[in-house]
Amino acid sequence: MTTQTETPIDATANDDLQRLVEFAQLVTAARDALSDDMVTRLSGAISEGMNLLDRLTRNEGLMRLLQVLDRDESQYLLIALSEAIHATSKDIAASPPATGGLGCMLRVARDPGAQEGVRLLAVLGQHLSHSLREQHRRGG
Amino acid sequence: MRILVVGGGTGGTILANNLARRLSAEIRTRKVWLTMLSASDKHMYQPGLLYVAFGQMTPDQLYRDQASLLESCIDFHVDPVEQFELDQNQVRTKSGKIHQYDILVIATGSRIVPEQIPGLTEGAETFYTEASAVKMFKRLREFQGGKVAVVVGVPHKCPIAPVEVMFSLHDYFKARGIRDKVTMKYHYPIGRIHTIQNVAKWAKPEFDRLGIEYETLFNVKEVDVKNNIVKSEEGTETAYDLLIAIPPHKGMEVIENNNLGQGGWIPTDRYKLTMNGHDNVYVLGDTTNLPVSKTGSAAHFEAEVAAENIAAIVKIGTPVRDYDGKVYCFIEAGHDRATYAMFNYLNPPDLKAPTKPMHWFKMAYNQMYWTSVRGLL
Repeated sequence: MTTQTETPIDATANDDLQRLVEFAQLVTAARDALSDDMVTRLSGAISEGMNLLDRLTRNEGLMRLLQVLDRDESQYLLIALSEAIHATSKDIAASPPATGGLGCMLRVARDPGAQEGVRLLAVLGQHLSHSLREQHRRGG
Repeated sequence: MRILVVGGGTGGTILANNLARRLSAEIRTRKVWLTMLSASDKHMYQPGLLYVAFGQMTPDQLYRDQASLLESCIDFHVDPVEQFELDQNQVRTKSGKIHQYDILVIATGSRIVPEQIPGLTEGAETFYTEASAVKMFKRLREFQGGKVAVVVGVPHKCPIAPVEVMFSLHDYFKARGIRDKVTMKYHYPIGRIHTIQNVAKWAKPEFDRLGIEYETLFNVKEVDVKNNIVKSEEGTETAYDLLIAIPPHKGMEVIENNNLGQGGWIPTDRYKLTMNGHDNVYVLGDTTNLPVSKTGSAAHFEAEVAAENIAAIVKIGTPVRDYDGKVYCFIEAGHDRATYAMFNYLNPPDLKAPTKPMHWFKMAYNQMYWTSVRGLL
């Protein structure tokens, strides 16, 4: 009877002890694997990462930009932007250098794509200057 | 309100960044101006000099551009102060500019004065400047054996440095396989081997275990460079082949020249951290005459208290916190073990056995320091 009641307790204690031994082995292995240089590099990276994160999270303008970019409707813009960057890279690589002169300007101005682009930039510029004027008027 | 910080070391930088965070709205709306005047555009991690002296770091790893460590709203000038005109709440700088203030923070630090002891400059190696730390390392590399003596001038920055250098020397010679050819003797100016009783209690058996000799009540009087003998005020002397000195320190000359404090240490209220007789002048770090260690750690904890109080003065018109004398010092007990001492005005340190993880904590802190001075840690 005595043996029967003691065995499960012993087994549990042994199990716990075994886990402790395994944990200690893990710590010892990590200790042996690390060197001063590794600790220095790791902590240097963590330190710089923390500084960067701190600066970014306290940058009001950047935080506002991230909020805007996080909206559902901004996803179209971001996807369009990434596709446009990809397409621009290909188009520029494939097209010959501009010849210059008024003729060239006229050809570009007549292109509906260029007109769309100018309109997009004009709308962006309009909103940008309106927001800037407002912020200066309110004092930040 | 104009807040002027004089000194861009650990204390001044942490305080300025801490204030910039606490008062960001007031600075943005131009209710507060925060200005720093420093003698250098570089910031040095001074505890790293010990590692340079043992070839564990190179000098370039100790520096950052001061401007890169400061919050962008801090108006930073490399233009050291030459005159403090406290009655008129203004300072004059080297370039001739006058900076007025409502609150002034003086954190100009300290300097070594080995020339106070005849022969010390010529005869001893030190590690309190970049050049001397590099020189000491080269000397250690050439050393093939003999008598090494370590002497300690007073007062000095970093009270733990004397015992740390002994442990580092032991490990360095051991690693080079010449420990048995070296005798090491430690000399300390008071009646035990360290000014902090519990550090002395811990270090003595360690010295015994490592075969390090020691002599207490040894105040360095002079170094006989010709005969390689260091003499004490108490009349004893030690012959050496290699002499390493913790040089005596003073406060900065500008403090003495302006009669702000004897020896360059400004009389400071131990709790409020204000200069005695001037409630709008705060003093930090080595510049104070407080009975705490002259370490970056003390400057750090003082800066946090002073910043909180200055910000509270701006916001509610009164300071809110007292400095309790807190200091936290890592103690390198060789090249791969360390412990620490934490104490304040009321509680002495309780030292634990040195461990490798604690050494790594110190290694990590050597990097995290840059996060610390930016006011984040």
